[in-house]
Amino acid sequence: MALLEIDELKVTFRTRHGPVTALDGVSLRVEAGETLGIVGESGCGKSITALSVMGLVPSPPGNIAGGAIRLAGEDLVNTSPRRLRRLRGSEIAMIFQEPMTSLNPVFTAGDQIAEAIMLHQNVSRAEALSRAVALLDRVGIPEARRRADDYPHQLSGGMRQRVMIAMAVSCQPKVLIADEPTTALDVTVQAQIFDLLNDLQRETGAAIMLITHDMGAIAEMADRVAVMYAGRVIEEGRADDILDLPKHPYTRGLIACIPNVGKGEGGEPPPLAEIPGVVPPLHLLGAGCAFRERCGSAFERCAAERPRLLGPAAHPAACHAVEEGRP
Amino acid sequence: MAGYLLRRLAYGLLLMAGVVILNFFLIRLAPGDPAEVIAGDMGGATAEVLAAIRADYGLDQPLLVQLGRYLGAMMQGDLGESYFFNRPVSELIGARIGPTILLVLAAQVISITIGVAMGVMAARKPNGVLSGAVSVVATIGYAVPVFWMGIMLIILFASIIPIFPVEGMADIRLRNEGWLERMIDILHHLALPAFSLAVIFLAIYARLSRASMLDVLGADYVRTARAKGASERSVLFRHALRNAALPVITVAGLQFGGLLSGALLVETVFNWPGMGTLAFDAILRRDYTLLLGVLFCAAAMVVIANIVTDLAYRLADPRLGGET
Repeated sequence: MALLEIDELKVTFRTRHGPVTALDGVSLRVEAGETLGIVGESGCGKSITALSVMGLVPSPPGNIAGGAIRLAGEDLVNTSPRRLRRLRGSEIAMIFQEPMTSLNPVFTAGDQIAEAIMLHQNVSRAEALSRAVALLDRVGIPEARRRADDYPHQLSGGMRQRVMIAMAVSCQPKVLIADEPTTALDVTVQAQIFDLLNDLQRETGAAIMLITHDMGAIAEMADRVAVMYAGRVIEEGRADDILDLPKHPYTRGLIACIPNVGKGEGGEPPPLAEIPGVVPPLHLLGAGCAFRERCGSAFERCAAERPRLLGPAAHPAACHAVEEGRP
Repeated sequence: MAGYLLRRLAYGLLLMAGVVILNFFLIRLAPGDPAEVIAGDMGGATAEVLAAIRADYGLDQPLLVQLGRYLGAMMQGDLGESYFFNRPVSELIGARIGPTILLVLAAQVISITIGVAMGVMAARKPNGVLSGAVSVVATIGYAVPVFWMGIMLIILFASIIPIFPVEGMADIRLRNEGWLERMIDILHHLALPAFSLAVIFLAIYARLSRASMLDVLGADYVRTARAKGASERSVLFRHALRNAALPVITVAGLQFGGLLSGALLVETVFNWPGMGTLAFDAILRRDYTLLLGVLFCAAAMVVIANIVTDLAYRLADPRLGGET
């Protein structure tokens, strides 16, 4: 049994265009101490997957319509809101994309971390505050004692994200969900944040679910990768395998999009690759493969039948062309 | 912070000087002659008597000289004598300012607490029945004129359910009782005027805090609070309301002037012995000095309210605390 199991998860949203399926049968597993990367473009369902695990899908309009989420065997979909609140922050914690807006502007950094500690541990406020200072020190904030009294607007973006991380790990969660934790940060700060997450994971043995659209982050952090497109997992495998031998045309496209800084053969940098088109609106998904309009390998079957995740258990892909061995 | 406060006070004094000078001229632009009012009350007057009265009160001097004299006396704390009451203006205002402050603060407290509570309840389920009801009540409350509300309350409580006194500030039969009885009596008298003055502002705060709460509840840091495992109550009152209250504080400060002018009407309707009734009498009787004094005090109260608002805002929002 994996630490976190997501089984055939289906999430629907009520919209102006009628109900749309934001997640359509997503299954994922994360083991303790492992980092699972979830990749895909905006709108593919990465964040909804994370919010579903947290029990934070806005409802209405969202609704978990089917499937299961289990943490160490405990069902999270049908559990009471009270129990979910217990688990949130203590067993499962989350780091958000925008450190600028994810911290409450009217409370100090120390207060916000101490609050997380007091919510789940039976300690005094003074003890929680001193633990908060220790955590700020641990996540690499200089002069932690003084910085604990700072408000978010007095901290830089990187520092704020460190505060978010300190808050998330304050109760030593078993699962840490990081939703694009470095997207809003400078490249140099990104590397520091990844190092910090790796270190913390080694110390605590937490499982990390890293949500990103950045293949560089995947190469840096992930043990395994799930590639998502239009609410489904379309390829899954070890990070090395996915990066070196991507199967699905979409994954190949994502990897081709990693900018190359070096000079090409003619002395010029190689042109930037792109995947043509955009993710189709979810209410317009037909019967076939959701990627077919943007795919160079599409053929008749792709329009008629939705591909299933097939192939070796260690590295399956959902593509008719891959299944039939077409180029 | 201290420097900031001093600067605000200096601006406030300038503003009040401006208010006094402007009012000084405006009042004299209005038709009517105080000498005739003074003489009229004594029962008819010849031109000589009128001239004597004008000379007596300095009304025969050029306007600028009158203004100079007035400002000079004001610097020494003398707001002049009321033509009608024949008593110092400062003394008259001193006797009336307490009830007005009591009325205005009570209305402010009622409107902010009930209004914000309504707004928060409505924001919890923006499409729910309660939210709709709050919107309807707020719209009606905003549309109803203050004096009409007062009159309706008087009709309701004077004859249909007589549980509140509808006139005055205290029951003279209780004037020899202990302070506690008298205080309760004053609060009893305060209920209707304070409520009718509060209604319109209550509606403003309900709508404002509903919108502000809805905005804040969608903020990333509210999601962070939920992700920490905070209870819904803590999310609502600790994380969201503190942020949503900021615009309410701003508007409460801006509305203070409106509250004062509303108090004038309410005091007249309920015969509340405050500055509003004093101003009303002063206008009817062309009592220039008294009216100027009342307007000066009102301006001072608005200036003070704005400074207090600014300080409150700075306390509530740490992003403003550092810079001045």
